[in-house]
Amino acid sequence: MERFLPRFDPRKTGLAVLAPVVALVVAAALSSVVLVIAGHSPALAFQRMWEYGTEPAQVVNILNKASGYFLSALAVAIGFRMNLFNIGVDGQYRIAAMAAAVVGATLTLPKPLHILVIVAVAVVVGALWAGIAGLLKVYRGVSEVISTIMLNFIGGAIVAWAVTPQVFAVLENNVVRTKTIPESGWFPGFTWSGIPAGGSQTVVFGEIYGFIVISGLVGVLYWFVLSRTRFGFDLRATGSSEPAAVASGVDVKRMVLTSMLLSGAVAGLVGMPILLGAAHSFGSQDFPSGIGFTGIAIALLGRNNPVGIAFASILWGFLDVSNQILDIESIPKEIVTIMQGAVVLAVVVAYEIVRRIGVATEQRRVMSTENAAPPAVPPATATADTGGER
Amino acid sequence: MSEHPERSTTAAGPATTVPAVELNGITKRFPGVVANSDVTLKVARGTVHAIVGENGAGKSTLMKILYGMQRPDEGTIEVDGSPVTFHTPADAIKAGIGMVHQHFKLADNLTVLENVVLGSEPRRGWRLDIEGARKKIVEISDRYGLDVDPDPLVEDLGVGERQRVEILKVLYRGARTLILDEPTAVLVPQEVDELFDALQELKAEGLTVIFISHKLDEVLKVADEITVIRRGTTVRTVLPSEVTPRKLAELMVGSELPSPQTSESTVTDRAVLEVKGLTVRDREGRPVVDDVTLTIHAGEVLGIAGVEGNGQAELVEAIMGIRPAEGSVVLEGRDLAGVPTRERRTAGVAFVPEDRIRQGLLLESPLWENRMLGHQTSPPNARGPLVNRRGARADTERIVRDYDVRTPSIDVTASALSGGNQQKLIVGREMSGNPRLLLAAHPTRGVDVGAQAAIWDHLRRARAEGLAVLLISADLDELIGLSDSLKVILRGRLVADADPATVTPEDLGSAMTGAAATGGKPGTADDTDGATDAEGSDV
Ligand SMILES: Nc1ncnc2c1ncn2[C@@H]1O[C@H](COP(=O)(O)OP(=O)(O)OP(=O)(O)O)[C@@H](O)[C@H]1O
Ligand SMILES: [Mg+2]
Repeated sequence: MERFLPRFDPRKTGLAVLAPVVALVVAAALSSVVLVIAGHSPALAFQRMWEYGTEPAQVVNILNKASGYFLSALAVAIGFRMNLFNIGVDGQYRIAAMAAAVVGATLTLPKPLHILVIVAVAVVVGALWAGIAGLLKVYRGVSEVISTIMLNFIGGAIVAWAVTPQVFAVLENNVVRTKTIPESGWFPGFTWSGIPAGGSQTVVFGEIYGFIVISGLVGVLYWFVLSRTRFGFDLRATGSSEPAAVASGVDVKRMVLTSMLLSGAVAGLVGMPILLGAAHSFGSQDFPSGIGFTGIAIALLGRNNPVGIAFASILWGFLDVSNQILDIESIPKEIVTIMQGAVVLAVVVAYEIVRRIGVATEQRRVMSTENAAPPAVPPATATADTGGER
Repeated sequence: MSEHPERSTTAAGPATTVPAVELNGITKRFPGVVANSDVTLKVARGTVHAIVGENGAGKSTLMKILYGMQRPDEGTIEVDGSPVTFHTPADAIKAGIGMVHQHFKLADNLTVLENVVLGSEPRRGWRLDIEGARKKIVEISDRYGLDVDPDPLVEDLGVGERQRVEILKVLYRGARTLILDEPTAVLVPQEVDELFDALQELKAEGLTVIFISHKLDEVLKVADEITVIRRGTTVRTVLPSEVTPRKLAELMVGSELPSPQTSESTVTDRAVLEVKGLTVRDREGRPVVDDVTLTIHAGEVLGIAGVEGNGQAELVEAIMGIRPAEGSVVLEGRDLAGVPTRERRTAGVAFVPEDRIRQGLLLESPLWENRMLGHQTSPPNARGPLVNRRGARADTERIVRDYDVRTPSIDVTASALSGGNQQKLIVGREMSGNPRLLLAAHPTRGVDVGAQAAIWDHLRRARAEGLAVLLISADLDELIGLSDSLKVILRGRLVADADPATVTPEDLGSAMTGAAATGGKPGTADDTDGATDAEGSDV
């Protein structure tokens, strides 16, 4: 794992940006090949996607999607930093959102408190659900990969059962969803309006979820905890070498449990932007399964770095939203899924290539500087026979 | 498979004039460091060629270049007179060059046979040819007197045996030139002798050995030629008959050979560590540390002599609280039962682990984060629950200065340091913050003679200020020279005491292998632990 936010160095930063750019170019190239084989013009497809995706209304959609993806990727990244593979973000987020929606709908509370309670329920439920995997790993040695996959299935089943009219849900317009949360539990958003290109009347483009601010704060918190606190140091140390961490006094079992709980807590937040900002009740179409897996891809693309993850989330949102235009051009929109896969693959390769370029340029840079090593004369104490003194 | 056609020609032919390996003008740069600059090296076939030099002089780098692990920025490599370019170790192996690394690379949970064939699996058609491989291993082992059994798990082997497995692995792949990077650092004298016997066999068979060591007397004993590297360049190539250890050291660093002389005793009667009936069991429940009782006083160095793998690592880990154990450990009057490792550390226990790569470092983290490791809860590394970056960085600079860690900056990763410089950083870190008790396993392993003397000085100074030290070392001179009292460990039991003032390395060596009716002389330095004396008789 690379250093967390190294001291600013323009050359290094340039290289860090180069890698994802290379990855994107490669991914675009791969997608173009697929498009050409399928008999479509890549130029046209990309152009249409770009035009559509940059329309203000779609930008709103993209940001809204990205706010959830961002949290999902952070949840995964917390695990990654410790060499834990939390595949269960998907189950954690869904069960947490469902519980939060149910609790939120039964309460009547003043505004900020109501929201706070809903969010707290989500965080706690997400953490507990992930904590089961943590406990299984610590006390039974069960790999978190296996247990979180199982918990995804179980969570899915619980959610499906809970969201039936016999339990917590109601049937409305032929859709089953949980009861609607009263307005005191809605998170105010940012309405964006303006004059669209070629229009003359001011229209509302859409509403950006207010929770996006909270997402951003969680990102800042992630950075701060990992790079500036003792706890974060312990976590990263455990991730890079468990035996060294143990020798340094880290209680690895406790660390596994804590980071699983934290990862689950953040996973619990994944559904909050849409729940508090738009849906106000839980139904399967607004809370699809898969966002947890998307988080894995985004965490890889963003290299566990909060800024990288933010960009990657927006990119992912863009691809998700802009593929809708392809249908109209009668281009299969699955091409975007291929593209997303290609991005992840390419990014792994690109980082390795860029790393090598980095080493090579460094070497060329020291070529002129003739500093072989500091003076070879050891300190005086090393040679003088001080044995007799004392 | 194992007959090498060219061997007969070499042996029968006229005295070979074409060197087995010739390096010319090799230059290799790393960020901020020139590891090799214009190095020239000529190694004659059928000889043992030693390479010596300070920590960070560029020895390992040069060998990695010859082994295809790193590409030189400039320079040429010739093998048997023809120029070659290696992109990977596989290329080097094809050209008959093999390497045993400073840090072993065997998989613990596989058998010797599996380790040897790993990466060059023997096939017959598309089936694995295990029987063929076993035959070949036994054949090579017999031929060069390596005494390697193909069946045990590697984790059950001692260090000396592991090393012979590494050598066999290289020979199995058909190497004609062997590179051994600090092969003797981990060995006790008996094992060193065995290794040197094996090297003579290899030489007699016409193989070439290139060998790196910081132990100059060994180098003089075994090498046919010696090349001295200093700050990345070859200084000179000499014959062992032309030089003394002192002369060699001067060529390396321009300084004299140190010897670990203890100054007068600083032992007090205040017990810092009291261990009683300590037993550590392996997974099968067999004791690997068996009923160990010992006391270390403030200002005392207690040395534990033993062949590696006789329970030393487990003993130290039990005292650190890393391994569960029976019995009692008392630190300055406080019973440590159930006290976690972190609290033991803050109570003043410092730890130089035997395996620095696994337990002592975060290889991919910068030096200043490695400075924090194990001390991440106390100043200057922490301020409340936060990391104190500035404090940690400043203190890292201090360690780099005081312990002469050769590095371009404290922002490079630990993996960029040479082996000896990694060791210096660890020792410097563990000596920081006024520890009460230091558990030091091989504190000067892989460290050059100059730095070794510096570390000894640091240890003596801390001891004079009341530090208690549990010293484990394969270097018997270090053990005898630094210790105030000595105990011998064999199969997890303390089997004998020795007086460092009178005991000879030979006595100690035979007590360690359990060969002698114990050379144990009753402990004169301290006699608080009669229990172990009683056990001295069961050797
Ligand atoms: N991967 C790397 N990246 C950056 N610098 C490196 C790397 N490997 C080695 N160096 C630097 O190159 C120099 C030579 O290192 P090398 O490991 O060859 O020393 P050495 O002679 O083997 O020392 P020792 O006796 O301590 O093992 C050192 O200054 C070291 O810091
Ligand atoms: Mg080395």
